[in-house]
Amino acid sequence: MSRDARPNRVLVSLMSLGLLTWLGLDALSVAPNRLVQGTPLSPVEALGWMVTLLGAMFMACVVWLAWRPSSARLWTALGLVTGLLVAMPLWLSGAVVAVLDPDMPQARVGIGPGLWVLLFLWLLVLVELRIRLRLRRVWVWSLLLFVIAIWGMALSQWLTPLALVQEYQARSEQFLEAVLYHLALVGAAVGASLLIGLGMALAMRRFDGLRRLGFGVLNSLQTIPSLALFGLLLAPLAWLGNQVQWLGALGVSGIGWAPAWLALVAYSLLPMVRNTYVALEGVDPGVIESARGMGMSPVQVFFQVRLPLALPVMLEGIRITTVQAIGLTAVAALIGAGGLGTFIFQGLGQAAMDLVLLGALPIIAMALVADALLGALAERMRRREAA
Amino acid sequence: MIELFDVTRRFGDETAVDRISLRVERGEFCVLVGTSGCGKSTTLRMINRLIEHSEGEIHLDGQPIRDFQEDQLRRRIGYAIQSTGLFPHWTVGRNIGLVPRLLQWSGSRIQERVEALMDLLGLPPEFAHKYPHQLSGGQAQRVGVARALAADPEILLMDEPFGALDPITRQTLQGELRDLQARLGKTIVFVTHDMDEALTLADRLVVMHEGRIVQQGRPTELLRAPANDFVASLLGGDDRGLKEAALIRVEERMLPVAPEAEGMPMVRRHATVNQALSLMLWHHTRHLLVVDEDDSPVGQLSLDVLMHKARHE
Repeated sequence: MSRDARPNRVLVSLMSLGLLTWLGLDALSVAPNRLVQGTPLSPVEALGWMVTLLGAMFMACVVWLAWRPSSARLWTALGLVTGLLVAMPLWLSGAVVAVLDPDMPQARVGIGPGLWVLLFLWLLVLVELRIRLRLRRVWVWSLLLFVIAIWGMALSQWLTPLALVQEYQARSEQFLEAVLYHLALVGAAVGASLLIGLGMALAMRRFDGLRRLGFGVLNSLQTIPSLALFGLLLAPLAWLGNQVQWLGALGVSGIGWAPAWLALVAYSLLPMVRNTYVALEGVDPGVIESARGMGMSPVQVFFQVRLPLALPVMLEGIRITTVQAIGLTAVAALIGAGGLGTFIFQGLGQAAMDLVLLGALPIIAMALVADALLGALAERMRRREAA
Repeated sequence: MIELFDVTRRFGDETAVDRISLRVERGEFCVLVGTSGCGKSTTLRMINRLIEHSEGEIHLDGQPIRDFQEDQLRRRIGYAIQSTGLFPHWTVGRNIGLVPRLLQWSGSRIQERVEALMDLLGLPPEFAHKYPHQLSGGQAQRVGVARALAADPEILLMDEPFGALDPITRQTLQGELRDLQARLGKTIVFVTHDMDEALTLADRLVVMHEGRIVQQGRPTELLRAPANDFVASLLGGDDRGLKEAALIRVEERMLPVAPEAEGMPMVRRHATVNQALSLMLWHHTRHLLVVDEDDSPVGQLSLDVLMHKARHE
């Protein structure tokens, strides 16, 4: 039980900011229908002084606990933050009922800037608490899953007037399809770039000239803006789709999945090749020499020694590539590639911010989950063989 | 038996090893010694074809090594290097069993062999499940030697295996290696730049300089008659007398105990003569009582005898 007398500045500032946000920023907006700009509401206007003060007290309490942190106090703070994260959807449910006029069935509630900021701040607090309390990742993830489950329940049961939920309900099938399509495109791009990247890295290790040329080409590919690259692929692929029958039948054309996939692979190659190359090069030469000296064949040296030892660094490359591809696929919607980006650009076109969120939020979630999973995997492998 | 006939190795325009000839008898402990870049490591690695020789011939028991398939050749020759080269993602047991597994021994035979080797090198059995990063430098090097011995090779090649260890661990392992070789009768080619290590270990000392062999022979021969100033300075210059004394055990020079030996400062029979000389200097005496492990007298050592022996040897 370490007793640290000094205030935990991170927690204190995060929670003080949260307190200010709660009291100062608008939490909700109410609009009579989809097209009209909503009227902003503060927490007080939504559910009154009492509830607002209760929330403020929770946060003030965390600030007080973090002022003289000890293990027990931080555990209490963890409980309070979890409570806040669980309470928010419940509070929202109450607020939605309170602010909506039953005579206006078209009316919808939007989540205001205040609540987004609060969610962000509380998650940061959770991260800081995880580090201070040396919590295992598994525990934090179970905690988050619990919070997410409560949110899911509230969203499906009581929060239907929420604009975000309405946008979802209007296109729930499309949404599922878009998520799967998005994942498929990312998976295909990362998979292809992993295979090509491994091949290129191997060739570069063998031929010095190829190494310089390869990195030169990949570096310049990386500097082309994504939209421009999509545009550049338009004409040649349209031509190819027209000329070659079976490619056309497969769906290769100037727009759609083909240019998107190609561009994603092109962007993924640099981080993939660089990490794979560095990973394979970085294996201790003494280990390789003794492997050869013991009489392992070149194939055995590669598959039993070099590749397994390079894997953690290669995984790092896969992680960077995956997160990058998840984001880039959103842009690919502009050339008709589909995926969650479709909602973002539709929403932008219709000035429907909640539709934009319907596309953006799952993309953020996917990127975070992919990052955490692959990062944890790499760390696990690294820890096992830490020299 | 390893034989090198006029072996040369070039890297581009550079000649790393220049027409060297060498013969290492079965069961001999041969140490290649020299400054860095003298070609001693290259010579070693040509024997197991990690580096191919450009000219000349290398024979193993009378057969040119190019007649063997590379990997097969290497599986017959034990190899240990300075950084140990242990696979960090394999347990100690799996590391030691590497070559037997390559030779497709049965699982139970590998298991037995690994246990026997760990016992031979004084590694506790529970180490078999540890990973290399959990070992100390000395333990890791023991595992490295065990791995090199795993398939019971005739020949052991060692490239500065103790170079990264602290002096005390190094000395311990040097002693163990000597004992091991005496027991197992392996042919060992050992590379080092540490002359003391070379003198302690070698049956045959081979001094290399700029890709050539400058002199070879028994350590005492080289100490007595260095071929040139380079060998003399490498062997320690004016310290050569003490270095030679370090190769002689006190018991080889002692005389029977005389009655007046009572009360003289004591020296152990397995101590080296240079240690005895140090004791004489320390105690301002010309005579020491030689004792065994139980401190019971077994002889006496006198400075005059040492001088006399030194002159007539």
